[in-house]
Amino acid sequence: MEALLGHPAVQGGLAPFAVALAVAFALFAARLGGLAIGAALGTAVYLIGGFAFPPVSAQQKILLISLAVPVLGVIVDLAFKPTRAAGPVLGLIFGVLVLWVGINVLKQKEATAMLVAGGGVFALAAWLTGAMFALRDDPVRAGAAALTLGLGVGVCALLSASGSYGQYAASVGAGAGAFLLVQMLLGRAIAAGATFTLSAGAACGLIVAGALLASPFPWYAAAVLALIPVAVRLPGPKAGVWLQAIALSVYGGIVALAACLLSWPEVQQRLGL
Amino acid sequence: MIKVAMAALVLAAPLAVQANPENYTLDPNHTYPHFEVDHLGVSTMRGMFNKSSGKFTIDRAAKTGSVELVVETASINTGDNDKGSRPRARDEHLRTADFFNVAEFPRMTFKSTGVKFAGDNPAEIAGSLTLLGVTKPLTLKIERWACREHPVYKKPMCGGNASGSLKRSEFGMKYGLAGIGDDLKLYFEFEAFKD
Repeated sequence: MEALLGHPAVQGGLAPFAVALAVAFALFAARLGGLAIGAALGTAVYLIGGFAFPPVSAQQKILLISLAVPVLGVIVDLAFKPTRAAGPVLGLIFGVLVLWVGINVLKQKEATAMLVAGGGVFALAAWLTGAMFALRDDPVRAGAAALTLGLGVGVCALLSASGSYGQYAASVGAGAGAFLLVQMLLGRAIAAGATFTLSAGAACGLIVAGALLASPFPWYAAAVLALIPVAVRLPGPKAGVWLQAIALSVYGGIVALAACLLSWPEVQQRLGL
Repeated sequence: MIKVAMAALVLAAPLAVQANPENYTLDPNHTYPHFEVDHLGVSTMRGMFNKSSGKFTIDRAAKTGSVELVVETASINTGDNDKGSRPRARDEHLRTADFFNVAEFPRMTFKSTGVKFAGDNPAEIAGSLTLLGVTKPLTLKIERWACREHPVYKKPMCGGNASGSLKRSEFGMKYGLAGIGDDLKLYFEFEAFKD
């Protein structure tokens, strides 16, 4: 059997074809037959060299995923009409991804600590991804949420965890600010879709999770930051993109500010945290 | 008689270079891995790691040896570990993902691949340094080396100083390169007892 699976034609052709055929048959009814490509490639990777890639740090993994997510967003926007299940499913996917991101840290912890930390970052990444994705049809709220979430995560990370995590998160906030500004200048909303919300939600979710695992990012600040996608859903001005953008950003900004204050050592000491 | 003497010489000759490896374990109380790096182009900042362990083997006759070092990067100490009212102390920052990323990669290791001798003493250790999950070649120059009996414990011991240089960016430590030098010089002052 080993000799058979070691044959180049089996590794690169027959085995991937067989697995892809099974996946396509199993998933075509759910409009996911296209996953056959991934299954085929995954089979070939497994048989040829295995999934033991050279060491990649959590931060490098976060960046790899975050840079690939916009492509996924475009595909979701152009090729699918997301159903109600799309948000939770995407959240679940990024929750699992964050466990892969943090595996080197998690496996060094004792069982209970590993479960608590793993469960926490899973829930956080899943929530932020799903909650941001749910804003895809409301570009102003999505822009305000991504702006304040990115900046909030950035400042909290700078204060507590690491400069580089802070910079990456802040860049998400900067991108969201640009997105929001275009709407304000045009005086009308522009499509956010999965391309925007998934990119921002997943990136921020992964960065917070990475900072929580690898550096002393306070968990209670992360919990507060997770409220930003909810805060921007509060009622805002009906007319004028300018007013809406500012008001919704203030909502998100207040939550972000609270998280930043909780990351400040003096406040932590006063609150006994 | 001459034949017997020749035979005895031939038989004894290999004994002169027969392998005789000696194993030593580093004394953690007298082993100090430390480093220096340029800061803002105006000064050289130094720090050390409080916890390390390791062992080495030396065969003086065969002039071979091997070294294994493990440095606990969370034990980094640059003298600034009280954050006071600041968000974090420098040592805390050095432990984050910006620098030594100790939560994910708690150890820096060095494993030798060959030892060069100058006369009877080891002079250079070629090996691999693993830092942040990345392994790169590193050569340590032995600047001082001596062996003697420990005056108190009456046990054989060896010790010395070694150093080597690396570029931290090559190991993925790229934070703050504009102000904090890329060249990192590593120093090891070590003492070891014979097993």
